[in-house]
Formats: sequence, C-alpha cells, structure tokens
Amino acid sequence: MHDPGTPVYVYGVLAASDQEVVAVSGVEGADVTTVEHAGLAALISRVRADALAAAKELRAHWRVLEEASLHATVVPVRFGTVMASEQALREEFLERDVQRLRELLDKLNGRVQLIVKAEYDEERLLRDVVEASPAVAALRERVRALPGDAGYYDQIRLGELVAGEVARRREADTRLALDVLEPHAVAAREEQATSRNSAFNLAFLVDRDAEESFGIAVAGLSTTLGDRIDIRFLGPLPPYSFTDADLGAGIPAWA
Amino acid sequence: MSIAATPRGYIERPRPSGLADVIDVILDKGLVIDAYVRVSLIGIEILTIDARIVVASVDTYLRFAQAVNRLDLTQSDQSEGLPELVQDMTSGGAKSKTKGALEGVKEKLTGGDDDGSDGKQKQKTRSRSRSSSSSRSSGSDGSRSRSRSKS
Repeated sequence: MHDPGTPVYVYGVLAASDQEVVAVSGVEGADVTTVEHAGLAALISRVRADALAAAKELRAHWRVLEEASLHATVVPVRFGTVMASEQALREEFLERDVQRLRELLDKLNGRVQLIVKAEYDEERLLRDVVEASPAVAALRERVRALPGDAGYYDQIRLGELVAGEVARRREADTRLALDVLEPHAVAAREEQATSRNSAFNLAFLVDRDAEESFGIAVAGLSTTLGDRIDIRFLGPLPPYSFTDADLGAGIPAWA
Repeated sequence: MSIAATPRGYIERPRPSGLADVIDVILDKGLVIDAYVRVSLIGIEILTIDARIVVASVDTYLRFAQAVNRLDLTQSDQSEGLPELVQDMTSGGAKSKTKGALEGVKEKLTGGDDDGSDGKQKQKTRSRSRSSSSSRSSGSDGSRSRSRSKS
C-alpha cells in the first residue's frame, strides 16, 4: 500500500464500469492505475519527482490515453496535471466535479475525435491569388519593375493584399470543409492553424459507428479541393478538443 | 477501420498517428481541473515549448533509424528510395506531388505503421527539414516553420 499522500498524475476520467487495465507505463515509467469515486474512475499514476521532463512525459501521457481509449470513452485531462494526493483527487476533482464529469462522459460516450488538417501548396496558392486578383497582379508588376528596395511600401502593400486574399480563401475552404464534414460529425471545432500555409485545422467529434462514413466524406472533400490543398486525416483520438462543458459555442453541436 | 482512398491516395488510415502529428492537441487540450497542483511542473510553459521541438526531432531520428535498419541494400528498388527521401529532407522542397512516392518509400522501409507510439512518420521528417534548412522562414517565423512538423 502506498502512502496516501503521494502526488498523483491524472491522465483522464472514465466511467468506472468502462475501465480496463492499461498495459503501457505512465509518466516516470510508473504503472497506471485508477482511483474510483461515485461511479467515476480517474486514470492515474504516482509521481516521485519534483519536476517532470515534459518532452518525455508527454509521450507517456499520450500513450496512456491512446491505450485507455481503445475501447472505452475517456475524458482526457490536460497534460501536466498533478494532484497532491489520492484524497485530493477524490475530493477536489471526482467529488466536486461529479456532475460535470458524468455529463461529459454521457456526451462523449462512444465518440472519438478525428482531425482534418489541410495545407496549401504555397506556390500554387500564390499563383492562384495573382491570377485571380487584377489588383495583386498589377501591383506585382509594378514592384517587379522597381529596382532594389525602391518599392518598399509597394511591397508591403502587395504583401498585405496577398494576405487578405489568402485569408479569404482560408475562410472559404474552411467553410467548405465544415459543410462537407459536419453532417457526419456530432460536433466540430476549429483549431489553431499550425503552419503558415495552413488552410484549416478542424477537430471533429464522431460516433465510432460513423468513422467510416466520415472517412469517405474526407476523401470526397479531398477530391473536391483537388491538388491545391493537401489534406491530412488523423485519429481516432480521445476527445481532447471536446472536454469543455459548453460544447456548442458557435458551431452546431450535439445532434 | 476504413481506408479513405482518394485518386491521389494519400489520405491515410487515421489510426495510429505519430505524436508529432497531434502534439498541439495533446499539449493544449484536455480537461482542466481547477484545483490541480502545478507545483510538480514548474516551468511547464517553457518545457512544453521544448517538448514541441524535442518530440518532433526524436520522431525524426526514430524514423530515420528504423528506415536505415530495415533498408535492404541488396534490392535495388528499395535502395533507390532512400536517396530520394534524403534529398527531400535536405532540400526542404517537399511538395504535394512527392507525397505519393514518399508514401511508397515509407511503406517499403517501415512496413507500415503498426506502432504509432514510435511516431516515425514521413510528415514531420519532411517538415523538420524545412525548419532546419529554414531558408524560407525568417527568425520570427521560426515557431511556425517548426510547427510544420505537425501539420
């Protein structure tokens, strides 16, 4: 029996009835276990060190959640969450948030997160912008005709115009992607772009049963978007992006 | 599990994905417990920035190691693959049209992704080359080019 005062690292929460043994090791190589309370089970491991090596432990955090959510619905807890003790975990989390956690588990039950990221081919994107916008094309010609930095302000203006065009395209393509994919999902979230050429970065909450039709929709979207956009389709993941309570803000939510 | 095939054929089977692909979600998302203790994680903000870099690098190394280990030098079709891969990584000029070929190379070299936890996927390998070659990205753009590794 361990010391009840040992700090615990928290990976996620699932229904107590849903839990299975997690075979992979957790942060600091520790065994992953659960703490049960009120029908909920928190996935935890004990931590010794005063500081965790984030780069290494992130992988452990990820693996534990991947493994645990293979067959169960797990609400992921933010990476790096350590509570003072098992008792603190029960009282200040499982007990205090019992209602919120049950509701979340209900909403997320049998659902997974799928990510659809898209990136422009930069050269193609810029060529399209120049071809489609006479203003950009004209300014580009002028800037090109000027020597050195003589056209400094024109260059800035040109860049500004292009950025505006790119933003418009981004918006339109995001809308298109949501129109195609949202009908196959329970909820959608727009995530932050992860690169300069990002067209969109979308997270979807999808019924496990609907994964296949969602995948087909992604393939269809890819065909529609054609060569100008590269799509990456990732998942299934535990519903990292859908752990907040107010699930529908701004985007059509629960079906 | 379905494979979402397209004419271009690079929509991958969703699971498993490497950590580097999903690192932003893993780092930034998830339930926040109001009362949780941060004491054990002093400097986590800085560390998580490191993590973004380190994880991408480690994945690249792992993938390279695996690719090299599995390389069968006696078979010409496979040994043709690696230079192409290396060239792509060092030039940083990966374009969508090379993806099909890279995908094929990856399949040959690694036998597919049976263990996502190693995260040895071509995507961040290719993108890492961009961050290191960095001719396309200025200093202020560093984080963005780095984050290419996840996209």
